[in-house]
Amino acid sequence: MKLSKNFTNPLAANNPVIVQILGICSALAVTVKLEPAFVMGLSVTFVCAFSNLFMSLLRKGVPSRIRIIVQLVVIATLVIVVDQFLRAYMYDVSKQLSVYVGLIITNCIVMGRVEAFALGNKPWDSFVDGVANGLGYAFILVLVAFFRELFGSGELFGFEIFGDWYTPNALMLFPPMALIIIGCIIWVHRSINKDLQEK
Amino acid sequence: MAINKNSNVYIITYTVVMVVIVGALLAFLATSLKPQQDANVLNEQKVSIMKAFGEADANFDDMVKIGLVTEGEFTEVAKDDKAGVQAVFDLLGNRKALSEATAGLPIFVLEKDGVTKYVLPIVGKGLWGDIWGYVSLQQTEDNIVITGIVMDHAGETPGLGAEIATEGVQAKFAGKALYDAENQFAVEMVKGLNEADAKLDASKVDAITGGTKTCDGVNAMLATSIGKYEAFLRGAEATAEADTEECACCVEECSEECCGECADECCSEEAIVEPVNVEEE
Repeated sequence: MKLSKNFTNPLAANNPVIVQILGICSALAVTVKLEPAFVMGLSVTFVCAFSNLFMSLLRKGVPSRIRIIVQLVVIATLVIVVDQFLRAYMYDVSKQLSVYVGLIITNCIVMGRVEAFALGNKPWDSFVDGVANGLGYAFILVLVAFFRELFGSGELFGFEIFGDWYTPNALMLFPPMALIIIGCIIWVHRSINKDLQEK
Repeated sequence: MAINKNSNVYIITYTVVMVVIVGALLAFLATSLKPQQDANVLNEQKVSIMKAFGEADANFDDMVKIGLVTEGEFTEVAKDDKAGVQAVFDLLGNRKALSEATAGLPIFVLEKDGVTKYVLPIVGKGLWGDIWGYVSLQQTEDNIVITGIVMDHAGETPGLGAEIATEGVQAKFAGKALYDAENQFAVEMVKGLNEADAKLDASKVDAITGGTKTCDGVNAMLATSIGKYEAFLRGAEATAEADTEECACCVEECSEECCGECADECCSEEAIVEPVNVEEE
């Protein structure tokens, strides 16, 4: 019961992007098209899950004075692993994501989950929590990228959806539009989940 | 006895062990994936070159001759000269070195159905960062025309400057003549030209709305990068016009042994080319 709640909570009610407002920077940068947004979401999920797992395994031995450094080393290592694999096997996508793969290291979601959850919980719970938070992030990214690619380029995953009659709306391709879309998603989300509304 | 996890000895030992393990792991990973990553980069370069030739599906290694141009002279790099070929592709990958190079400029030659096309690398600066690509040129009766171009960019604005990387924009360059009636370099992207006029114009290309700075960058890139090959291209122009059947050896170097009975005809003082000493600075 607890495990399934751990898993579903970050997907909606406690979503890292639209409720905790974390990881906004990369959400603006990589959501111009669906494919990089999708790969970015999966990469963050991988890093988040395994950094949670490893930090949870190490939690009893880590000296508390240097725990942030240890967390950073673990996260950075995993990010480099992802980056190297993308360069070797998904070269085109890695070019589109460019520096943002490296910037997963600074993604607040990853470090936030390690610090808040993995250091105080068992490995399996931490792993599930990492996967769920990563997927919560990925879901928002893909949702934003869906609107931006559809109206900004008239395509989805690079396939033409709207015909020649549609003039692509270049405004959708600029980062501020991603912020506005995220704002709209938060609006919809809060009007459904009334307990999130501030009094 | 319980270990004091906050003692300096424990912390330092912990850090050292952690760094050694992580370092070894990453070094192993980077080394084992390196060949695959290098192959990706090389493959991308070859695919771009074939796209510029307009032969996107053809195999680079089977069809294309690699060469270097120094002061208008073409030297072929043999396919089995692995180090030489590698050096050419390394130079293509190093945009700074490529933009500064004045000798040993890479060039790719494709001969098909009696038509010779050349592909040159182009490199320049857009609005936000580097832009680069390959342009394919072909000799016509009295000019040199662009047959194809591929361009890419580091970080131009999506939807505006970044459009230079799309086929729609690149297709507009096809058929444009390099030189105008005064023999000046004339290919450029121009604002305010309507599409129909741009299609008819011999050298002008319709610029991208909202991408003016990037288009300026493209203009500068084409002028400087192609400019470096000008001596060679003009030479190709000249040889195409001249009767190359007789005394062909004189084009390479001129001496009694190689030119034989042609020597009198083509070894006039102007035609004699000093053999280039490679070791000389």
